[in-house]
Amino acid sequence: MTALRAPFTTLALRQTVFCALGVVSALAVLTVPAVVPAAAVLVLWAAGVLAGDSAPVVGPVFLVLIPLTLALLVVLATPIGRATGAAHRFLADRLLGVQVDAPPPRPSKRVGALVTDGPGWRAVGYAALKVPLAVPEGYGAFCYVFGVVNLSYPVWWPLFRNHPPGTSLGPVWGLTPFGTIGTRTFAGTFLIAAAGLAMLLVAPWLMRAGTALDVAAMRRLLGPRRLAERLRELQVTRARAIDDAAAMMRRLERDLHDGAQIRLTTLAMNLGMATEKLGADGPPPDLAQARELVALAHRGAKEALADLRDLVRGIHPPVLDNGLGDALATLATGSAIPVAVSVELPARPAPAIETIAYFCAAELLANAAKHSRASRIVLGVAGTGEHLTVAVEDDGDGGADPAGPGLSGLAGRIAVVDGRMRVHSPAGGPTRVEIELPTHV
Amino acid sequence: MRVVIAEDAAMMREGLVRLLTDRGFEVSAAVADADALRAAVAADEPDAAVIDIRMPPTHTDEGLRAAIDIRRDHPGVGVLVFSQYVETRYATRLLADRPAGVGYLLKDRVADVADFVDALTRVASGGTALDPEVVGHLMRAGQETAGLASLTPREREVLALMAEGRSNAGIAAALVITPGVVEKHVANIFAKLGLPPSDSANRRVLAVLRHVGGSGKFG
Repeated sequence: MTALRAPFTTLALRQTVFCALGVVSALAVLTVPAVVPAAAVLVLWAAGVLAGDSAPVVGPVFLVLIPLTLALLVVLATPIGRATGAAHRFLADRLLGVQVDAPPPRPSKRVGALVTDGPGWRAVGYAALKVPLAVPEGYGAFCYVFGVVNLSYPVWWPLFRNHPPGTSLGPVWGLTPFGTIGTRTFAGTFLIAAAGLAMLLVAPWLMRAGTALDVAAMRRLLGPRRLAERLRELQVTRARAIDDAAAMMRRLERDLHDGAQIRLTTLAMNLGMATEKLGADGPPPDLAQARELVALAHRGAKEALADLRDLVRGIHPPVLDNGLGDALATLATGSAIPVAVSVELPARPAPAIETIAYFCAAELLANAAKHSRASRIVLGVAGTGEHLTVAVEDDGDGGADPAGPGLSGLAGRIAVVDGRMRVHSPAGGPTRVEIELPTHV
Repeated sequence: MRVVIAEDAAMMREGLVRLLTDRGFEVSAAVADADALRAAVAADEPDAAVIDIRMPPTHTDEGLRAAIDIRRDHPGVGVLVFSQYVETRYATRLLADRPAGVGYLLKDRVADVADFVDALTRVASGGTALDPEVVGHLMRAGQETAGLASLTPREREVLALMAEGRSNAGIAAALVITPGVVEKHVANIFAKLGLPPSDSANRRVLAVLRHVGGSGKFG
């Protein structure tokens, strides 16, 4: 049954599109090497060789321009490779539902980095491999499309072949992988339809084989897999973690310096003045002023306490010790936009992960409140034993930019624990941001 | 006595205005950043300026730089710099040209109103007020080389108070001893450290600081 149903699923349709596009990109890849001979012809033409009157400058011009073209190809190979890689990752995500993580970005903008760009060259390798990969894919897509076409012959035959008797007509041709079938009769169209049905039934399996090979190649060549890259990624995230820790300490110092410390100094000053107004012994010289100063100091003490409480919550919300559920429920009550919270975790993640998940949720809620103009937010935390996902979805305007300072900063911070972020925020909304974290560091 | 206050935290600024007004000072301006401070001092030279070190825009050492400028451009204005923590290097920069009419205190010191007012008065009339914390740092740093080991504990206390910029009477009051005893201690200290005796409090501070802080730092 599965075999019979396979051609009629949306997956088969999406696979067909993917395979057909695969053939297009393979053809595009094949045209790239043609750039060099094309350039040579262009040079010859420009030098007037093709016109017949050969000039003595041809040799030198040729010697200069051809290496130049080759050098340009080498320099442009990795950015083009990366671009096609990104396009294929996008297609695989949209059409096959297969996510391949992006490789780390090029470390610097210098031209030298273009040539030494490892992930870029691997993407070039993928582009080259796309040519043989496109063969089963193209074959599958062909079978699918012409299977449908062939299957339809008996349907339209009576509509078009209703000429008066005696009209001399050529045969109608049906295309199959093994050649063409011609027919002049209505009965013959059923033979073509049968061939079409066979093609249609075989097509999904051909395409499946082709895309399976393709996805395997993508994972190897377009993903961030190699040990050296992993090392570089770890270096980057470690540097980031250190920077973040230092920035956190600076912010803490600044908050204390401008907040609680000022309040306590002022409080001490007011109490010092009050002490003077009360005098060392005997009746106080200025009781009214002393009372006022003590009241001022009292208010200052309460403000300092509130300041410290906010600061403490910003470092580590105490309710987080009870688990993410309680902490996120408390967080949600503080939001201006109504938030529906659901937390379903089989076990408690590591404390550091809980803290990161909490602050991610806090930042995403704050973002939604600030930018989305949403009327409600759904905050969900779900997970398996190994991973948990924090998802924040709002019904607002959308248009959240994953490359903007806020979200890219968040992505950088979670990268420290190999967390990943996915943002779906089309213009007009809704916005869904998913953060996946390991449950243990 | 006229005073200008430069402090970016409004609460603290208002508190200082209140405290100083209450103690009979005339606060001619209370500003929140270094540029406004320079303008206020230039417009109407006060007797002293109370200056917070960290002020906008960078919140690093704007106040200190303004204080150094004011000491150069308006030698008659006493400068009392204060901050929530003390840095020995800041003290060095402040005292670089001459330890007169200058003070450097922790903000905490405003809690002891009398001491704070005393320090400000001293600075306004050309004296010195160094925070005990700074003096402590300097004395610990100079311990090895300066031969401070030969001093008795009492003499060290007196030396520290001298370095803060206090007069003999001030030292006597702080240690609850008679001025005569203080004079004897001071003479002993100068003899033990090999410093030329001096009556002027400023020259005395300079000599002491130069000794404990190492030569060159307070030139």
